[in-house]
Amino acid sequence: MRLDDSEDQAAFRAGLKAWLAEQLPEATPSAPRAWSADELRAWSKALHAAGYAGLTWPSEHGGRGLSPSYQAIYAEESALAEAPDHAGVIGLGMVGPAIVHYGTDAQKAEHLPRILSGETIFCQGFSEPDAGSDLASVRTRARRVDGGYVVDGEKVWSSYAHLADHCLLLARTDPDAAKHRGLTCFLLDMRAPGVEVRPLRQLSGDTDFNQILLSGVEIPDDRVLGEPGQGWRVALTTLAHERGTFGITLTARLSVQLDRLVKTAKACGADTDPRVRAEIAELYVDLQGLRFTGYRALAAMERTGEPGPESSILKLRWSQANQRVSALALRLLGAGAAADGTDAFWGGYWQHQRLRSRANSIEGGTSEILRGIVAERVLGLPKSR
Amino acid sequence: MDFALTEDQTALKVAARTYLEDTYGFERIAAFADEGENDLAAWPELVRQGWLDPDLGLAELVLLAEEGGRALHPVPWFATAGLALPVYRAAGVEPAGPATLADGSGTCRATRRDDGWRLDGAVQAVLHADVATEIVVAARTPAGVALFGVGRAAASVSACAGIDPLRATSDVALAGAEGRLLAGPPSAAPLLAAIRSRATTLLAGEAIGVADRALAIAVDHAKTRSQFDRPIGSFQAVSQQLADGYAEVELARSLAYRAAAAPSAEAVACAAHAASRAAVSVCETAIQVCGGMGVTWEFPLHRWFRRALWLEAELASGPLEAIAHSLFGEHS
Repeated sequence: MRLDDSEDQAAFRAGLKAWLAEQLPEATPSAPRAWSADELRAWSKALHAAGYAGLTWPSEHGGRGLSPSYQAIYAEESALAEAPDHAGVIGLGMVGPAIVHYGTDAQKAEHLPRILSGETIFCQGFSEPDAGSDLASVRTRARRVDGGYVVDGEKVWSSYAHLADHCLLLARTDPDAAKHRGLTCFLLDMRAPGVEVRPLRQLSGDTDFNQILLSGVEIPDDRVLGEPGQGWRVALTTLAHERGTFGITLTARLSVQLDRLVKTAKACGADTDPRVRAEIAELYVDLQGLRFTGYRALAAMERTGEPGPESSILKLRWSQANQRVSALALRLLGAGAAADGTDAFWGGYWQHQRLRSRANSIEGGTSEILRGIVAERVLGLPKSR
Repeated sequence: MDFALTEDQTALKVAARTYLEDTYGFERIAAFADEGENDLAAWPELVRQGWLDPDLGLAELVLLAEEGGRALHPVPWFATAGLALPVYRAAGVEPAGPATLADGSGTCRATRRDDGWRLDGAVQAVLHADVATEIVVAARTPAGVALFGVGRAAASVSACAGIDPLRATSDVALAGAEGRLLAGPPSAAPLLAAIRSRATTLLAGEAIGVADRALAIAVDHAKTRSQFDRPIGSFQAVSQQLADGYAEVELARSLAYRAAAAPSAEAVACAAHAASRAAVSVCETAIQVCGGMGVTWEFPLHRWFRRALWLEAELASGPLEAIAHSLFGEHS
């Protein structure tokens, strides 16, 4: 049981920190900067050039073949430095590993190097208006035609779809088969005729997600990832990779938020209020609990290839803590919380966080679904319906 | 970084759990608790199994404390290994049997006589003083605080009622009691502070064990108890509470292990707060899930709930303000 980096890890961390400090402007005490689409693409190229893309990818596919702890160090340091996500985060973290696992040689040759270099950006087309938590009830229909499929349907909650070149699409190819069996995964070209992307505006005003409308989109056979009818398994593989070191990224971001909350409490003169102090101290304990649970899950992943069962609670408890941070921040602002934009403290940063964080317990697996996973798969309770 | 138990640590934990499960069933624990007694007959076996070995590090001790909390291990192991042992080790001697620590640094004084040291004063609520072979007493000397071993017979020990009968405490009065010097000034004061930190970490471990066992009892109940022709664990209103309990245990467990692996004031404070909160809240959830059964005297859960409340009293005062200090600086 050790908490310090090995010599190699320490050197990697130091090099990364120095590189991030050189590339990124000094973090501001208040609102972080926004990144344009072009800046995101440039950032992805810079990461690749510096060797920080595909850390855990096998070296035969252009990665560095490092263990998950290096990916965790990257996740932690880049979040602490407030670096943006690699625009290809979905390709790097989820679609790439699925292509390594299920792709044909031609698919690997076409996509893997371009995902790594940031040249190709992927989005994920899994969720639908009627298939969010219940992913197996996907209705987007891929009809068999000569040499391929014709797809009609609608996808929602696709991050980066407005930038994406390709989409890992889950569609129903066999309406008569059992719910999980009739699905197929496709590597859809987002520039194909019939694909339309519409930004989805959230209650915070943000447009992080998109709708993808598909009407009569032709997908040739060589774009099927894995066997037809095996889409469910491919989807599960990509989602398993999503869980990997994501908890560590979330925790590091929460740590940045908590620093801002402390600064806000001081700025409001609330730092001497014992109730505020106790509440923030409690949030700090929650943060540390998440942090060291992330490390435990990572240690399990290093040994077994799978994160430990304790990883299943990271996103659940992160969303609660993150929501509490912004809720407390607004309460600290008192009547000033009713202002927004340039009239508000830090240009409305906390107002925005308060609204945006409401989605935290819904996006990427609702808290109810996550508790259900813990109850059934970790505690072994009977299935609930 | 490799923040997981080593093979040796896992083996130690498994061995401790097996021994405790084999030795202490629900009925036996209830019998000890109802009599307010400890299983002193098991002490030699514990020593033989190595529970007081000098090569146990803090991480190993936390694992033993966790298993002890899980089983409500009815022996004065925590008082001996957690509180008294560091003093004996500093003195280069072994305790003769179960021991405990009475911090009388504010109320007791020691006077040098021709035949040795004599102690006077009183310390309240000393854990397991009634069964200790020797009580380690912190007392003032003209040169500063020192630590003395006092035979139980040389002290006046009167039992107090407590919320957890397996954690009996006594008031200890000393009137010219003979003490043998174990650690003198100036090393005794920092040794006492180190013992407080170590004891807090062990109790955090114990609290994880308490929470973990309460959760296990409730999960077991939810799998087997049927209502409306279904196991109650299939109702989301029940299963989601248990999932939240699991989250509470695991976050606290990470903090207890971290305090053991890399002790610092901040790490110990985080562990103390999270673990005592987990013990109390998971016991409450477990009782809720067990419903009417859960609130009866016969159902075992209240034994763990009492320990959780005892732990909360020991652990909950202070850590949040200590953390706030480090986040905000001095409270002005």
